[in-house]
Amino acid sequence: MSGRRSQLLLYLAVTLTVIITGPEAFAQVSEQTNAQSSEAPNAAAGAKLAHATMCERVDNLMPTRAGLVFSVSAGQVCCFTSFDPVPQPSLVYHRWFHRDQLSTQTRLRIYPPKWATYSVIQLRETDKGPWRVEVTDQNGRVFQVLRFSIVD
Amino acid sequence: MERFLQFFATIRWQDLVDIIVNSYILFRVYVLFHGTNAFRVLVGITSLWILQEVAASLGLILTSWAVRGITTVAAVIIIVVFRNEIRSALQARNLKAFFWGSPVREQATPVDIVVQTVFQMAKKRIGALLVFPGKEELGEHLHGGLLWRGTVSQEMLLSIFWPNNPVHDGAIIIRGDQIVEVGVLLPLSQRQDLPSYYGTRHRAALGLAERSDALVLAVSEERGRVTAAKVNTLTPFSEPQELTHLLNRHLNISDGVPTNRRKRERLRLTVAAVLSLLVMTGIWFGFTRSQDTIIALNVPIEYVNRPGGFEILDTSTDEARLQLYGSSALIKSLQPGQVLVRVDLRKAAEGKNLFPITQDNIIMPPGVFLNKVHPPNLEVNLDALISKELPVQVDWAGKLPDHLNLVKVSVAPESVSVVGGRQVLQALSTIYTAPVRLDDLLKSGTTTTSLVLTPPSLKLMSSANEKITVTYVLEEKANQGRK
Repeated sequence: MSGRRSQLLLYLAVTLTVIITGPEAFAQVSEQTNAQSSEAPNAAAGAKLAHATMCERVDNLMPTRAGLVFSVSAGQVCCFTSFDPVPQPSLVYHRWFHRDQLSTQTRLRIYPPKWATYSVIQLRETDKGPWRVEVTDQNGRVFQVLRFSIVD
Repeated sequence: MERFLQFFATIRWQDLVDIIVNSYILFRVYVLFHGTNAFRVLVGITSLWILQEVAASLGLILTSWAVRGITTVAAVIIIVVFRNEIRSALQARNLKAFFWGSPVREQATPVDIVVQTVFQMAKKRIGALLVFPGKEELGEHLHGGLLWRGTVSQEMLLSIFWPNNPVHDGAIIIRGDQIVEVGVLLPLSQRQDLPSYYGTRHRAALGLAERSDALVLAVSEERGRVTAAKVNTLTPFSEPQELTHLLNRHLNISDGVPTNRRKRERLRLTVAAVLSLLVMTGIWFGFTRSQDTIIALNVPIEYVNRPGGFEILDTSTDEARLQLYGSSALIKSLQPGQVLVRVDLRKAAEGKNLFPITQDNIIMPPGVFLNKVHPPNLEVNLDALISKELPVQVDWAGKLPDHLNLVKVSVAPESVSVVGGRQVLQALSTIYTAPVRLDDLLKSGTTTTSLVLTPPSLKLMSSANEKITVTYVLEEKANQGRK
């Protein structure tokens, strides 16, 4: 019973990595990504990306106010990803690009049997413009590319 | 002596041609304009210019300033006031006459025939008016007239002025051995001091003589006298020899005796030619041989013969700093574009190429020389042209209305093929559209926009992809559940 509980806790646990990049800003996710993402099979030792989206917040392990454009006045933007299944503990990366320039990257750990995790950036005025987040495994293989914009 | 020889050894054949061509131009200007009022004014302007230079070199500020102004105004005046003379001098009958003709050879009026005829007409009391133009154009002073173009002969002259001839009352214009016009009306002199026995014919002769350098002969039918009008003077002639002499002088004709006049004319032209040569040689040496002025210029670098399939990714510098020297006149007159630094990329390869900037790369006007160049070398990075398929992303801008959320976007085409330098394209992962404003979006829809190619050296493989169609889906925020 205690083993099952610990497994449940582990499943529900979310690795929260908040990247405060100072002058950098972040945001991400979208339906546009469905058309434009590239998914690598057998990535992250067999882990599969079940869901990825950009949102303003993550509340109770769920993305809130998902969208494709985010106002800089919101202050932050999150890239939420969930993996199912996760055969073994492994690393994934959220690589944030502003106008094709790598702004920051976040290393996130995921655990079996399934896992949800997200990264956050704080927004500034200079962060307006088109962004993308590449979700990759530790070998650089891309699960999905999420595209969005930071606007007024 | 050795320095003298060394100096002449540096003269190129181009320099000799330069001097000879310009000397001949100066000489021809003298030949064509000599004797005209325009030439005298031109001499005056040249004197003013020399005076201005002398005044400037002596530090006479006001004098040089005033003389410069007068010279400028006078140069304009000479063109406006003497336009007819200039046109007349330049309107040669053919190119040979323009470039080689001598005023002595061009005149061939049969003076003896003319003189003999006018005295014969005077004897017969036949009135006549004959105009012998000088170097000035007469067009604006003459009215009426019929083209004639007949060779001068006694019979022809007598028949024109025969009392029953319809054109006998007008004047005739004689150029060379041709009667070019008949029945011409001349302007009348307004002078009040003429003797009463001078009638309309004499007033007409004097009227034209006052306004031009033409010589006009008038034959009185009442008094049977031959009178010549020249400048402001009416001169009666009773002896044919005197009139012959006057006509020969006016028409610049040798009077047949192996004449001093022809010799003098040749001597005058020879002196003019030698002076032209000396003046031009002096000017040429002044312009090119003194090397007393140094100037530094930043000159843009021009790349030529770029190999096909490559583009210039970057260069170590966009301009070179050249230190040039030469005579102050040439250095001061240097214009942008006269000095070029040209790098030939014909043998360049992909990647970094090093080119020395030498005399061979620099184009300068003759007489200007290179002293120093910086930088001495130029690095050019060439990039091979490739194509790459890049996804298209919308660049949203503005502010979405607060109650709406953009939940789905699709673009067509989803990706485009872009041609550009390998290194440039390797750094690119996305092509962005021009900014699409969110402010006016109230419901889902479609819009079109264009792509922004950065850097501008990038090109689309297909121009059909210049327009991007953006389809977007908006939702009310209230309708959105947690996602």
